[in-house]
Formats: sequence, C-alpha cells, structure tokens
Amino acid sequence: MSESPILELNHISMRFGGLQALDDVSFDLREGEVHALVGENGAGKSTLMRILSGVYTEYGGEYILDGQPVKLRSPHDALYRGIGMIHQELSVMPELSVAENLFLGRQPYTRWGMIDWKMMNRVAEEEMQKLGFDIDVRQPLENYSLGIQQVAEVLRVILSGARVLIMDEPTSALSPSEVERLIELTNVLRALHKRSIIYISHFLDEVMRVADRITVLRDGRKVSTLDSESTSKSHLISLILGREADATLPSTEEHKGGISLLSVQNLSAEAFNDISFEIGAGEIVGLYGPVGAGHFDVARTLFGMFRFDSGTISVDGHQFPSNFSARYAIAHGVAYATESRRKSLFMDTANYANITLPHLNRIGGILPQYHKEVSVARQAMEAVNVQPCVPDNTVGTLSGGNQQKVAIARWITFPPRVFVVSEPTRGMDVGAKNEVLSILIDFRNQGFGVLVVSSEPETVLAVADRIIVMSRGKIVSELQNSDDLQKDALMRLI
Amino acid sequence: MTTQTEVVGRQTTEAKSTIWLRRLRALAQVWTLLALMIFFSLVSTSFLHPNNLNNILVQVSTLAILGTGMTFVLLTGQIDLSIAALVTLTGIISAHMFTAMKIAEPWPTVAALGAATLLGIISGIASTRFRIPAFMTTLAMSLIASGLATWISQGRTYFTISPVAQFLGSGRVAGQDSFRILPIVAALCLLIGFLVLRYTRFGRYVYMTGSNPSAARLAGINTNLIIGATLAISGFTAGLAGMVNMGRLGSAQPQVIDSFLIDAIGAVVLGGTSLSGGRGGILQTVIGLLIYGTLRNGLDNIPQIDPFMKQFITGVVLLGALVVNLLFAGRAGRDRT
Repeated sequence: MSESPILELNHISMRFGGLQALDDVSFDLREGEVHALVGENGAGKSTLMRILSGVYTEYGGEYILDGQPVKLRSPHDALYRGIGMIHQELSVMPELSVAENLFLGRQPYTRWGMIDWKMMNRVAEEEMQKLGFDIDVRQPLENYSLGIQQVAEVLRVILSGARVLIMDEPTSALSPSEVERLIELTNVLRALHKRSIIYISHFLDEVMRVADRITVLRDGRKVSTLDSESTSKSHLISLILGREADATLPSTEEHKGGISLLSVQNLSAEAFNDISFEIGAGEIVGLYGPVGAGHFDVARTLFGMFRFDSGTISVDGHQFPSNFSARYAIAHGVAYATESRRKSLFMDTANYANITLPHLNRIGGILPQYHKEVSVARQAMEAVNVQPCVPDNTVGTLSGGNQQKVAIARWITFPPRVFVVSEPTRGMDVGAKNEVLSILIDFRNQGFGVLVVSSEPETVLAVADRIIVMSRGKIVSELQNSDDLQKDALMRLI
Repeated sequence: MTTQTEVVGRQTTEAKSTIWLRRLRALAQVWTLLALMIFFSLVSTSFLHPNNLNNILVQVSTLAILGTGMTFVLLTGQIDLSIAALVTLTGIISAHMFTAMKIAEPWPTVAALGAATLLGIISGIASTRFRIPAFMTTLAMSLIASGLATWISQGRTYFTISPVAQFLGSGRVAGQDSFRILPIVAALCLLIGFLVLRYTRFGRYVYMTGSNPSAARLAGINTNLIIGATLAISGFTAGLAGMVNMGRLGSAQPQVIDSFLIDAIGAVVLGGTSLSGGRGGILQTVIGLLIYGTLRNGLDNIPQIDPFMKQFITGVVLLGALVVNLLFAGRAGRDRT
C-alpha cells in the first residue's frame, strides 16, 4: 500500500438551508486502500459520498485528485476521472446478459461495425474468473443471485476505468455467504487490481474486517480517522454516538402485554424469513433494522401490498387469507402509513380528500358530501395538530412533518385495531418528530396496537414498549425497551 | 381540471392575486376557444350565423359521446384505442339484426350496446388481470371488433337501419326545422359523465387512481376494478356513438372510420385532460370539443382557402392551440413537478 493519497478532500463544508450537513470535513484515500465511512443516519455520510461522486458540485473546501485540485461537474465526469459509484440499489440491467452488463455503453465492435460478441463474452468470462466466479456470462443477469449481480456491477464500474470505488451499503441486501464473497472481492480488488475503495456501511463487524482505515462522522463533523487494526467495535460505537458505550446488553424479555391484537407466525417472503411476533392491545412494538433488513417489506405485507409465501397473519384472532388486498386489511382493522409520503398521499389534492379517501364508503355513501368530508377531516387534522389546519388546501403546500400528520390523520376517524407505520419521523425537525411520536403514544393509550417500523434507532427507542431487531431478513433479537436501553445495544445486534 | 379548479376556488389562505393567476391559467383552453371564435367570425361572414353554430354542435356530437368515455379512461392514466372499431361494430350488429335477421327493436339496440360494453369489459379484465397495458389490449380489441363487423356483414353495407338509430341520429325534437335530437343525446351523455366524475365516490376513485396509483391502492381502492369500469364505460359510449353515427349516415358500413379515435383523444387532450391521468374532466372535454369543432367548421367557412390545404392548416392551428395552452398553463404545470 502506497502512502501517498490519490484522493483528498480538504475542509469540506456544505449547507442545506439552515442545516449544516458537513462542517470542515477532511478525508483522504490512499492507493490500494479500503477506507470506511461510518456514522449514524444524518451524520453526513451520504452528503460526503455525493460530493465525492460528483452529484453535489457546490460546496466549500477543496477536492484533490492525484495531487491536482479538481471540480467535478457530474457523476459522469467523476467516472471519467476514475471515480465510480456502486449504489445500494443496483443499476444493472437484469434482462441483459452478464457480459452485456459488464460492457454496458462500451460494447466492443468488429471492424464491420457489429457488436463483437466473441470478444465481449471472452473478456467478461476472464474477468469474472479472475475474481473467482466461474459462471456462464451469456446468461441474463437476472438468472443469478443478488450477490453475483452486485459483483457484475462492481466489475462494470472497474472495467469502465474506475480507480476509486465508492460502495454504499453494499451488503445490506446480501445473505451471509454473499457478504463473505463480497469481502473477498474487495480484498482481490485492492491486491490484484490496485483499486481504492470507499466503503460505507452500518455493519461495524464487517467494516472492521474489510477496512484499512475508518473515518467516523457525527453531526456533519469528522470525529476521527482510525486504523481499523488498532480499534474495537465498542470504541467505534462510542465515537459514532459521541459518548461512552454501555458494555452490557439488556436481557431479552418475554412479551407480557394485554390481549394480542396482531399475531404474525412464521411469515416468509422473498425479502424476509420466518418472522413471528405479536402486538398486544395498548402496546407499541418497534421493528428496527438497517436499511435492507426487510422490515419495511414486513410492514407492506401486513397491509396486503406484498405477497407472502408462507406463515399466517391474524388480527383479533381472525386469520387473513393468503393474498388479501389493502381493502381487506383496512376492513379488518389494519392501518398503514408508508415510509414514502409521496407514494401514499396525493400532493395535488386537498387535505380533506386525502384523509377521507379510505373511508368514503362510511362517510357519504355513493355521493361523497363535501361538508361532511371537510368536517370529518377538520376533526382529524385538529386531533393531530396539522398546521395550518385548512382541509381545502392541497397536501403539497404543507411541510414534511405536517404531511406525515395528514397521512396519520387518515386513520383517526375510524380507528384501526393495529396501526403499522413506517419511518414515522423521517426527515423531520425535532419539534415535528416529537409531535408525531406523541400521536402514536396516544394511539397506544387508547388501547390500539402500534407497529413502528424504522431504521432510525432513536425513533423506536423513543416510543416502543418492545423492540424487535431485524437484520438481513431475519429477527435477530427482541428486547424490552427501557430508559437504560441505548442506541449502541441496537447497533451491536445488527 | 374539475378537482383542481374546485380546490383553487376554495383556497382560503392564498393571496387573491395568485388565485386569479391560477384561474387564468386553468382557463387557458377557454381563451384558445374564444380566440378561434373571434378569428373566424372576423374572417368569415357565415361563421356566426345560428345555422352554422348549430352545425358545429351536430358535427361534434358523435365526438362528444366518444369523448365522454375517453375522458374516464384517460383520467385513470389508461387509453382506449378500440372505440372507432366499436362504433363500426355496433352499427353492423344493430343493422344486421334489424335488417337481415328481422328482429324487432329494442333488441338490436340492446344487443349492439351490450356487445360494445362487453368488449370494453373484456379489455378491462385483460388489462388488469394480466397486467397488459390497456394500450395493447384495446388495440387487439379494435382488431377483434372490426373483424367481427366484417365477418357479420360479409363486407356489405346495410341501407336500412332501425328506427331507434334513425331517431337518435337524425331525429328532430318537433317539426322539420326544429332542433336535432343528436346534440341533446351528446349533451346528456356529457352531463351524466360530468355528474358521475364530480359528485360520486366512483368519480373520486377514478381521479385518485390516475393521480397516484400506489397511493390509491394504499387507501384501499381497488384500482383494477376502477380501470376496468372506465374501459367498460368507454365501450358503452363507443356503442352509443355507433348508434347515432349510423342514424346520422342512414346506413351501416363495415369500414372503420379511423378518424373517430384520433379525434376523440385529440379533443379530450386538447381540452386539458392529462394523458398520464388524474387531471382533467368533462368540462375540459367540452371546451376541447368546441375548439375542435370550431377549427374544423371555421375553415370550411372561409371560401378563399384552397380545400386541399385544409388538413394542413388544421394541423398547424392545432399545434398552435396546444402551444398556447401550454404557455398559459405551463408555469402551473411545472410548479407541480
């Protein structure tokens, strides 16, 4: 490993409106090095990554590549200069063959101007073999596992000339054996191909194994850059959180809530496996996991938006049929607010119409009655304190926090038995966050069951009575929430 | 933009000036229509004559019936390419039953309308059950319908048509020179469409399905059922248009008049109903129809124009009208993205 950095960021700062996303962050990458970036959600990892890959072009500070200051104009410009990005959501073309994917946009041509399939397939085969994958590169990529698809994406970026690879949460959707292969791949890349890798991940064990150095970000500032050999997981956690980590894990306790409202038994689907849990009356259960753990898919499944292969879902002892619809779920007492407000609300439409839509049949029969709808909506909006409380305004005119309240207000007029809510507080300021969380607590106090699904440990810790931790599609632990339970305990489990 | 303007109209917190600006933009199509009418009344002496205005109404009536169903379909973000063929098929079924099979009314009419609706329902089921885009299923349905028409008629034209069709297509309210029945049928069709879209739960579901399908499903709307129902409605209105068209022509021909399809979609979209769903409505369709009718008829009333140039000019003015619409509504559209 050479000591001279091939890429340096000096004193980078960036603001989004009132938010200081990055504050005087410096970072460097040496040739043949794996340098990990860790930090909580919102610590500034994504912003830094977007600056590195040329997405954000307006920032304070200096970007130095091979000793020369550069100003990247776009992700395309970044790739041209040898900086490639592997996104968490793969950007491969599943229908094309492995070889075609590797040569996407740069197919070799014969001198007759036809695509040189022979050469393309031969080179692709060789390159895959070099990395230890003996596969038929003529097959469509979708025939292979997600792990192989990711390898193909990495290889494509390398073949297009990238010397620096930025990998964003590369393992979050992979199975344990695929994770092992990816870690091997990074070793091969740095040893054989002399590539440098910026590795962003929530999984600290993995980070410690794969990285040479680790940079910790917290609240937009750089906390420290450490050699991974001379640090420990608990030290890292304490740096990430900014305080001493609690060394002892709280004990797992059995659920002792009231009558069971929701019962999920051995639920399995593509994105998760063998999920079982119960939610009692007057209980908030937190379903926590890193992005890609499958917990959001569990939520979708409970609302009939996602098919499941096996297992059972019962509400109030009534078992749901195997492919029930959202309508069925609503009629049987399940409510759901997604993590994406854009997907669940009609931004161009009035608040009242958004709120009454799921219950139009109960509000006005065949002919919806404007005045009735508005009064129902106004009550619901007042109950969750939507500001400004104007049922006729469109949802799009509200702030993010208030939009979320509208998404919740939908379910207040005809309360469900179980309320499933994904990322209830994503992207909100503290005030709005607390308001939304207290609405959920109100729901619980009225005797309903609430399932809070989130990748933000703070959210589940703040409201949940019990926390189920998921990682890579499986439940890894179930904890009783208490004031002693800290973020680091949750992070340690994944 | 029924829901849109409705919402704008009830805004209470926005500044008055913004509301007016938005209203002006929402009315872009009306300005286009007015501009065309003023233009034609200036260059042509016969254009504003009551007889000619009546002509415009009669000319767009068939299109209005087709446009009603098309508005429903486009609002859900789908499209129905089978309507022109359904127009032909209903005419042939009705005429064949009445003339060749000697079956008395109302059965020929019931069978013809029923067949058109049924084919619409089949398109709907194929699109939603098997997730084939309505573009393709209705394209196939258009071949099926015109194929059936050719087969039933064996290629001949029927010159005797049933009294129901005759009444709908060329009947008059009272005597020889009184008002025609046809525009009344078209107006009724539009009115019912308007009331259903604006005031019923089904209408709300149609808008919501087109505006944001995933959000609609999350709110428990059976979007498949809604899309299927709009295709059935479009099938029915195409059938009705087939009856009046046959009545107007006095005969039933097995050839498909392709312009019906393009004209219906053109008029609805020209009015301001979005091709991607969720925005628009019957009021917009009415304006679009009138623009279309004015344009077609207005050019006929300028004798100086070379008849071989008419189609070309129609195209140019149409493009111009679309650009004007966009200039008026453009900012509002961009604000939403």
